[in-house]
Amino acid sequence: MDTNTKTYKEEQAGYFKVLIGLLLLTTVTFIQPYYFLDNATFAVQMLIGTVKAWLILMYYMHLKGEKLIITFLYFSMFIVLVFFVIVIGVDVTNFQFEDASYISSPITDVHDHTPVTQH
Amino acid sequence: MAHAYVPEIATDRDGNEHEVQGWQDDLYGAKLGFWLFMFTEVLMFGAMFLSLSYYFTLHHQDFIDASATLNRLLGGTNTVILLFSALTMGLGLLKMKHGDIKGAKLMIWATILLALVFLGIKAVEWTAEYHHGVFLGLPALQPGSDLSKPLGQILFFGMYFTMTGIHGFHIILGIGIMLWLLKRINSGKVSPKHYILHFNIALYWDLVHLIWVFVFPYFYMIGAGDVAGGIVHGH
Amino acid sequence: MSKTYFDETHCAIGHPKSTFMQWMLTVDHKRIGLMYAAVMFTFFFIAVATAFLMRLELYAPGAQFIDGDTFNQAFTLHGVIMIFLFIVPGIPAIFGNIVMPLMIGAKDVSFPRLNWFTFWLYILGCIIAVASLWVGNGFADTGWTFYAPYSLNTGTNVIFTLVAAFILGMASILTGLNFLVTIHRLRAPGMTFFKMPLFVWGIYSTAWIQLLATPVVGITLILAILEKYFGIGIFDPAKGGDPVLFEHLFWIYSHPAVYLMILPAFGIMSEIIPVFSRREIFGYRTIALSSASIAGIGYLVWGHHLYTSGMADIAKVVFSFLTFFVAVPTGIKFYDWIATMYKGKIVLSTPMLWALGTIITFAIGGLTGVTIAMVGVDIHLQDTYYTVAHFHYAMLGGVVFLLFAGMHYWFPLVTGKMYNETKAKMAFGLVFVGFNVLWFPMFIAGYLGMPRRYFDYLPEFQIYHQISFWGAVIFIIGLVSMFTVLIQGWRKGKDAGLNPWHATTLEWHMPTSPPPLENHAKVPYVDFRPYEYHHGEPVVKFDLQTMKRID
Repeated sequence: MDTNTKTYKEEQAGYFKVLIGLLLLTTVTFIQPYYFLDNATFAVQMLIGTVKAWLILMYYMHLKGEKLIITFLYFSMFIVLVFFVIVIGVDVTNFQFEDASYISSPITDVHDHTPVTQH
Repeated sequence: MAHAYVPEIATDRDGNEHEVQGWQDDLYGAKLGFWLFMFTEVLMFGAMFLSLSYYFTLHHQDFIDASATLNRLLGGTNTVILLFSALTMGLGLLKMKHGDIKGAKLMIWATILLALVFLGIKAVEWTAEYHHGVFLGLPALQPGSDLSKPLGQILFFGMYFTMTGIHGFHIILGIGIMLWLLKRINSGKVSPKHYILHFNIALYWDLVHLIWVFVFPYFYMIGAGDVAGGIVHGH
Repeated sequence: MSKTYFDETHCAIGHPKSTFMQWMLTVDHKRIGLMYAAVMFTFFFIAVATAFLMRLELYAPGAQFIDGDTFNQAFTLHGVIMIFLFIVPGIPAIFGNIVMPLMIGAKDVSFPRLNWFTFWLYILGCIIAVASLWVGNGFADTGWTFYAPYSLNTGTNVIFTLVAAFILGMASILTGLNFLVTIHRLRAPGMTFFKMPLFVWGIYSTAWIQLLATPVVGITLILAILEKYFGIGIFDPAKGGDPVLFEHLFWIYSHPAVYLMILPAFGIMSEIIPVFSRREIFGYRTIALSSASIAGIGYLVWGHHLYTSGMADIAKVVFSFLTFFVAVPTGIKFYDWIATMYKGKIVLSTPMLWALGTIITFAIGGLTGVTIAMVGVDIHLQDTYYTVAHFHYAMLGGVVFLLFAGMHYWFPLVTGKMYNETKAKMAFGLVFVGFNVLWFPMFIAGYLGMPRRYFDYLPEFQIYHQISFWGAVIFIIGLVSMFTVLIQGWRKGKDAGLNPWHATTLEWHMPTSPPPLENHAKVPYVDFRPYEYHHGEPVVKFDLQTMKRID
């Protein structure tokens, strides 16, 4: 199953090392909005999340030792999801009907149902 | 299946023998199957994240304001609890692989306990929000009433209850599956020689943790710090 | 007398003695495939009857015997049954189950008990879908696409259909998962990916789509349920939500779903053409890779269902370009099939007639799809009868015709008998003629402006509806006679023997006809390509008891 035959102690040490890494990253997650890069909080949070996810996938879920097909399928899924996000992003940023739509311009008064006109 | 499975042998024209992979005793196949299933779960949550991102772009400030009102202490505690539960699950699998069945069962019980604490804290959070009038069906999340929140915040909370709710549902399922695993271990069906079920359930639990790794910052942390103008921080 | 898979079976739970319980609990992929077929064709005929009811109503303008609301429920029922209960499980559930493991030399799929569970999940979905006919305000009246905000506001039983569609989606995902692992793990020794029969390539590409696309619609349906009953706001403009987001999420699945329908069908075509042209298929590798690329590119084109929804122009252009692009691999397949037939010794048996008929009807279906892929043209033709005719030519004239072709082709394998060839050919003629008389006028009606899902229409369209109606009559007579021929063939037909079509792929090298429970006597070593013919005769011959090559 594992391509490398680790001893019990070695594997256990591995789990704890990853735990420390994850705890450290979690701590950074908590302090980041208050201490640094707080104008890019969303991006930083997602980046930290991605690093944590990579650690979990590779070590806790043993993806590091697996044959190519499994890593391949996750990579391809990621590409497809990125395409979805890009296309919907393109659609949203080039929205043509702002004049008649509630969605792009926030309504100041929820009782007012006439569309807000933008210039 | 009472009798042991013996794989067939196919012989080619040069007389060389090749072992035939049958559907029984296929460790890699069982792993592949479960990874594929988890793939579908990731896509389901991925579509929800896609919708969330769409509305975050459209209602940027409202999302941040709503996020600021969530309880980061409770949410953060849950994050750490789930992290440790992933550790206990992994250690349980490790012990099973190396023959320590008693230790493995102990670790599974530890994971179940941590999962129950997670659910408990989640219940506390949701109850607190309900008492603040923020819940599905209450006027704060409906348009057109005096208590209505801004539209972006209504969407934020709608997605918040949906995604944490569905995530919590998967935790409940996970607890059920772990109890079933314990039953299979006790009956000898899962052992240090045949532990693929334990392996797959550990993978499932890691996936549940993985989803939370993204759910937590997306809902709780984007409104942290001083980004929210004039909104009360946490509780 | 050797035992076949009708005489003995493996069960999921215990060792039942009664035949009925043995069928209910069987994990044998061949029996499961047959049970899917029985249930699916029952629902197929219910949906055909619903469609005939609509054709009858539409014979003349104005209300004849049903009102507008009932008409809306009728086309929703027709769509939901045809798509979720019939064509999406479709060929994979029937022939993917029965034939695919035989073609790769496996004894069953990778997870036989999961296969059994998936079948019963499918049945549960069917029951829930149909139950809503008798509960509350009746069946949903939203169209099978359940667009927000109407689906959220209507009082009819949308929730039943949404839940049913979710469960059926789960069944589809699990089938795809099962087939993916089976094809990766259980191929006979020596059978590399490029020695697999093309039907297996079709099922493989389809399984990827089942796995990757269905979860998106699954969660969309859940979100729609939550929106309807808990008001989360995601699709509701009054709360800042966006109904077009529902359309995006819905079509992110539903467009790949149509490739999920057609790829196994193309796989059947790739099986039939070489056998009945007595030649090796032309361009094996390109056909195999085109299946994979259709699956891949098909993910990127969903926006062409949303041209009139208010998308940005840039997005529309991107989707239009990609939609044109996805037609290319399909065209490659068509050219390869025709090249296979060129200078072959064509045998015009019934399976070949169905395949050739499909080449005509799917070509029309595919090309008319390319027409409406053009943004400017689609503004005019969206939601008219042109679109309806397009997708019926593609789905009915493509997928279902090839399903019928597969039924005639694998009939001797599954049943051990042969049907009456002459009557089968007559049934084909009736169905083919009826199909074209039914659907072709709709292209014209749609072009002239007849909208779809409309219960009433202007008198100038009446002639098209009348022609379609009589086409429907011929078509249904043809369908009924086709099924009668097949059922009579099973009950009273002559024994077919082991390989009546002189095909080359592994499923025909069975020791008994029908096959035994555990398929091949011994798993062969595969060191040959799947369609080797020499002077019209198969090259590879086996001793069926030892599965060693004797050519």
